[in-house]
Amino acid sequence: MDTTIPLIETRNLVKRYGDKVAVKDVSFDVNGGEVFGFLGPNGAGKTTTIKMIVGLLQPTSGTVKVSGYDVQAQPLLAKASSGYVPDTPNLYAKLTGRELLRFVGDLYDLDRQQVAQRTDELLRILDLTAAANDTVDSYSHGMQQKASLAAALMHDPKVLVLDEPTVGLDPKSARLIKDILRQMAERGAAVFLSTHILEIAERMCDRIGIINKGELVAVGTMKELRSLGKAGEVSLEDIFLGLTGGAEEAEIAEILK
Amino acid sequence: MSMLASVPSNRILPAVWKLIRLRLLLTLNGFKHAKTGRKILVVVAYLGLLAFAGFIFLMSWLLLNFLRSPQLTKYVGIEVTPFLEAVPVLIFTALFLGILLSSFGVLLQVLYLSGDMDFLLSSPVPIRAVFVTKLLQAVLPNFGLISLFGLPVLYGLGISCHYNILYYPLVLLVMVLLTLAAAGLSAMLVMVVARLFPARRVAEILGFFTALLTILCSQIGNLTNSFGHSTDISGEQVNSLFTLLMRFNTPWMPLNWAGQGLVALGESRWLSGFLLVTLTLGLSAVTFMVALATAERWYYSGWAGMQVVARKKKSLRTLPPAGTMQQAQGRPLRPATTAETATASWVGRFLPAPVRGIVWKDFLMLSRDLRNLSQLISPLIFGVIYSLMFFRTGQFFTGQGDAPIWVMDSLRTLATYGNVGMSLFVGWMLLGRLSGMAFSSEGKNYWMLKASPVRPSHLLAAKYLVAYLPTLALGSFFLVGISILQKISPGVFLYSLLTVAMCLAGMNGILLGFGTAGANFNWEDPRKMNAGNLGCLGQFLTMLFLPLAFGLFIGPLFLVNLFQWPQGYGYLVGGIVGIVVTGTCAILPLWLVQKKVDRLGEN
Repeated sequence: MDTTIPLIETRNLVKRYGDKVAVKDVSFDVNGGEVFGFLGPNGAGKTTTIKMIVGLLQPTSGTVKVSGYDVQAQPLLAKASSGYVPDTPNLYAKLTGRELLRFVGDLYDLDRQQVAQRTDELLRILDLTAAANDTVDSYSHGMQQKASLAAALMHDPKVLVLDEPTVGLDPKSARLIKDILRQMAERGAAVFLSTHILEIAERMCDRIGIINKGELVAVGTMKELRSLGKAGEVSLEDIFLGLTGGAEEAEIAEILK
Repeated sequence: MSMLASVPSNRILPAVWKLIRLRLLLTLNGFKHAKTGRKILVVVAYLGLLAFAGFIFLMSWLLLNFLRSPQLTKYVGIEVTPFLEAVPVLIFTALFLGILLSSFGVLLQVLYLSGDMDFLLSSPVPIRAVFVTKLLQAVLPNFGLISLFGLPVLYGLGISCHYNILYYPLVLLVMVLLTLAAAGLSAMLVMVVARLFPARRVAEILGFFTALLTILCSQIGNLTNSFGHSTDISGEQVNSLFTLLMRFNTPWMPLNWAGQGLVALGESRWLSGFLLVTLTLGLSAVTFMVALATAERWYYSGWAGMQVVARKKKSLRTLPPAGTMQQAQGRPLRPATTAETATASWVGRFLPAPVRGIVWKDFLMLSRDLRNLSQLISPLIFGVIYSLMFFRTGQFFTGQGDAPIWVMDSLRTLATYGNVGMSLFVGWMLLGRLSGMAFSSEGKNYWMLKASPVRPSHLLAAKYLVAYLPTLALGSFFLVGISILQKISPGVFLYSLLTVAMCLAGMNGILLGFGTAGANFNWEDPRKMNAGNLGCLGQFLTMLFLPLAFGLFIGPLFLVNLFQWPQGYGYLVGGIVGIVVTGTCAILPLWLVQKKVDRLGEN
């Protein structure tokens, strides 16, 4: 896979809900082989942006391209090349883990034999083999999150979009997911993840985008972001707070004093 | 100890009041933020309930006066007073058992599935207060409902029998304490069951049987008629009923003491009255306290299983070796090639993989969730009941009398194609659920379909099949059954089958079209999913469509009877016109909503 080609391209992306503008003129690229971290405070527009990238939400204006396909004009091609892990793993509760993956294989029109093989592999990798024949409603939150990741990886996507993938996971599972994402990127896939855990973003991501009140306030590598911040702001936390809400932080500290 | 929080109080009642106030606030907020139409509806419903209570009170008073009349005694042949004295016993027994059973489901919900128990138990409120509040929350609606029927009857009885003034407040006190005792026992029962089975599964099974029971109860009248039992009651039957009820009023059952004690007090038999009422009140209070303490201990100690869902099996899990991701990379996945698709099974040639996948998934989901099954089984029950009724009334078109030949021929034709009508009626009920809510049933899982590369046409085709195939199977089942019993000819049967298949196809198209346009994905309980106003409109339209489509197929047969033309012409014209119209209805709505599928779930 060519790692210089942008696999996710957003141009002047806008999403309005009535008078409220959730996403304002957001433009960025994510290249193949790159892990891109998408940060922002609660309600900043992260999930809305993600939903527009994976084709769950129609932008008010602007374009999104995934693997070179316009998500609005060529939705099937764009969706066929991407995998999505939502923040809340709403999965079909009455399907077993194995049945869920078989269903996903059918949705992506994959060869049945390969689906069976891939299912076994993914279940083993994600430590779900023992629960493979249990229905999803008997899974813990972490297991559902992993099942959701397995579903997103079924068709070996070129673009993987994850909304808060490590929330509610134990350290072992969180590490496993981080390893998988890194390996996906090494194989040339574009990994786009939103997270609140700045340590994950700082350690894992090649580039980071920070969104605040619907606007993309910064994009770049850690080095580039440091150059944007004030002198002395060396950690991502400092940069993030500086860009999104230093004043609020001081106010919180005052309340908790 | 936090710097801001005050020292928590151990007093139960203020804490219970605090929690009940929260519940009231939630209800009040729900009312405040509801649409004006709904607010008016709620007010009217409450006023209606009040009027209903007044009506029951008046009727009880009049009825009980009538029961004491000498004319009735003469007619029935026995003294009615002992029966009247058994009325409170009956009502209190019904109240106790009713609360015990009806609270079970609500308590299961509030203790295990509502999700706020952890929040409440972790706050500085006495655990007992939380439990008392939960019990009250569970029993209050049912208590209100039972009181609505029971209190007016008990007070009506008191007035008609000129009972002592003490009778009235004690009726209320006994009702409250019996209710609390029943709720306490119900809470213990919930915990024993939740220890044995996953709470969510128990809730599903309970929902299934409750729905089944409701349908059967609502159809008792029809069932009785179907089996040919007369609903007229003779004096002898009334006599037997009175005897049975009086036999039930034995002093050996503790549940009877409440009613017997209150009647004794009402009749100023002070000693036995006070003894029985005090015994009832004491036993109820002790039962409530013991049950509450035990349930609380079972819950808090974890005995009753805090987990909502238990795993089916616990097998030994082996850890994957480090760096196993490389193993998965051995063979990259790719979409199936044309050659592979060509060698797929013959079904695959007609149905693309996503369509097959969605159909398979939906059938699994429908069959595994008992809450769905309760909705799906009702058409079957209604079908059986109405088929039985149909057979009873279908015998009327024998002989001719003074009617012209064509009239009797037409009536016989109508009776012959009654099998079609019955199959369509059953199909209509099933399609209302399967087709009208085909998209809504996806709920919060819809993102999986929306984020997948599935064409809207494939999605619609899959949903169409999921609704159509079982409906056609059920409709055909009724058609075959009734046709065999009617002994109709193979030709008529085939035409009936064509009529059923095409009418269901058209109806499916209409319902799916409207259900798609009004799809609602925001629900937690499948019983609360709906297809919105547009879905209702679809249901309404199919009520018009069904007789029209049925008429198009069957109408020409009447015409040929009328004009004495060959029967074949009727089949030919009816078949062609019917197929064209129903086929159009099957396809047109789906074609119209196809564009909308892309944008579903974005609100």
